[in-house]
Amino acid sequence: MGLTERTNRNVDLTYWEGEIPVNYVYTYGLGLEAFFRALKEQGKFLASRCEDCGVTYLPARVFCERCLGKLETTFAVPGTGKVYAYTVVHRNVDESPKEEPVVLALVDMDGTDCRFVHYLTGVEPGEVKVGMAVKPVLKAKKDRKGGIEDIVGFAPA
Amino acid sequence: MAYQRVAIVGAGITKFVRRAQETGKELAFQAAKMALDSCGLTMKDIECVSLGTAPDAFDGVHMKGEYLADGSGGWRKPYMRHFVGGGTGVFAPIHGWFHVASGMFDTCLVVCSEKMSSCHPHPQGAFKTIFDHTTEQPLNPTLIWIFALEMNRYMQTYGITKEEIALVSVKNKKNAMDHPSAQLPMEITVEDVLNSEVLAWPVNRLDISPASDGAAAIVLASEHVAKRITDKPVWIDGVGWNLDTAYWATRDLAYPRYVEKAARMAYEMAGIKEPQKEIEIAEPYDPFDYKELHHMEGLLLADRGKAVEMLLDGKTQRDGDRPMCPSGGALGVGNPIAATGLMKVIEIFLQLRGEAGKRQVPGNPRCGLAQAWGDLMQVGTVVVLRR
Ligand SMILES: [Zn+2]
Repeated sequence: MGLTERTNRNVDLTYWEGEIPVNYVYTYGLGLEAFFRALKEQGKFLASRCEDCGVTYLPARVFCERCLGKLETTFAVPGTGKVYAYTVVHRNVDESPKEEPVVLALVDMDGTDCRFVHYLTGVEPGEVKVGMAVKPVLKAKKDRKGGIEDIVGFAPA
Repeated sequence: MAYQRVAIVGAGITKFVRRAQETGKELAFQAAKMALDSCGLTMKDIECVSLGTAPDAFDGVHMKGEYLADGSGGWRKPYMRHFVGGGTGVFAPIHGWFHVASGMFDTCLVVCSEKMSSCHPHPQGAFKTIFDHTTEQPLNPTLIWIFALEMNRYMQTYGITKEEIALVSVKNKKNAMDHPSAQLPMEITVEDVLNSEVLAWPVNRLDISPASDGAAAIVLASEHVAKRITDKPVWIDGVGWNLDTAYWATRDLAYPRYVEKAARMAYEMAGIKEPQKEIEIAEPYDPFDYKELHHMEGLLLADRGKAVEMLLDGKTQRDGDRPMCPSGGALGVGNPIAATGLMKVIEIFLQLRGEAGKRQVPGNPRCGLAQAWGDLMQVGTVVVLRR
């Protein structure tokens, strides 16, 4: 009935099982490589800015999508922000129930024109408010691997 | 602009079902054959073929355009696949329109086919890689996240409640009871929607459309040819499409500006100055109930935050002033992605011809619109039809 309803029904139909037998190696790309190195090594959030368009990108990018100008310098922004929207997720990708509902938010990142999607931590689902100020919670430096999970989530500021 | 005027002259839709025994190409064939038969044409009369189908990962067939070519009538024809995700079904008549409007061809068969049930355990899994592989995939996102966040922002911005939004689902699933292709026709209440399982608050199971298998097709013809085929051509008078940033998290989620830009493009072409007065009937894309309202606003068919008032006043019911999704929409008829959008185009085609049977809206509408939305929730596709 719903978008995530399981499909393993009507097994009286004749069918084959198959797969596309490949997997993938993704690179970070030039912009994200710089962003995640700074996050991992210095706990900093690197942004880049297109002066022509007046847009500040976070994470840093190497080009501006609006004018296709090159973005050649980066600078750190605080990593703090405000909740723009949130959801309370009850199901995993395979539709199995989560043991505890997880709060997920879009965070308007201070000093930028971008938002992060990430978990909210240290707050009960019923206490989340759109507009509330949040700060990033990073893993300890020794545990950071250079990925989005180096950020545990965002907590009330 | 110098181009040929283009009409829809025939249409066909398969049943939309949970799992079809037919392959995607057999579904395409069924819809294509129905469309040809509906206007008395054969493949000999068709000069080119346009195919719309959504991600290859649903069917597990790489290069699905080639795979579906035979069922779509592509054999030894100028044949081309187009794809803008969920927006594909309404991009389909636009893509076909290019072929005929350009003067290159006088007829075009446009087919949309989707077989989502091949994908196991669920097509949700196929959506994983639409999220950025570095910044988003490690969080194990599902597509419903995006909708839940957008619905939350929309509700928050305008003070709209879940109870109000649920009325869209109630309306569309009920409308679908009169659609012969419908997968999920049902009479439900607002309470049923609110009491259905929470997937990601504020999205409950009955707020959303199902995964489906199905196909739809239309026949397009240039003005001089259309008039020989039918005395009831329905003209594609406006087309528009527009793409927003792929960084979905950064978009304005309360208002789909890309839909507005697509709509303005189509309105300008169709000479429509006041869409709220001139568009008498519409099929906005409704994979989730709030999206019907959200899209009505982007399409300028309601003021911002006010679509819900039209809903509460009964104006968007089939017998209301401004019927929205009289077909039953994706929520009621089903959502075989590309075929859904074309089903919506076909609904307006039938309504303008007075051939929608039990679904026929009163008032003999002359001008209607269909819209779809897709890619990473960033594309708006719009056609304006007139009789
Ligand atoms: Zn720029």
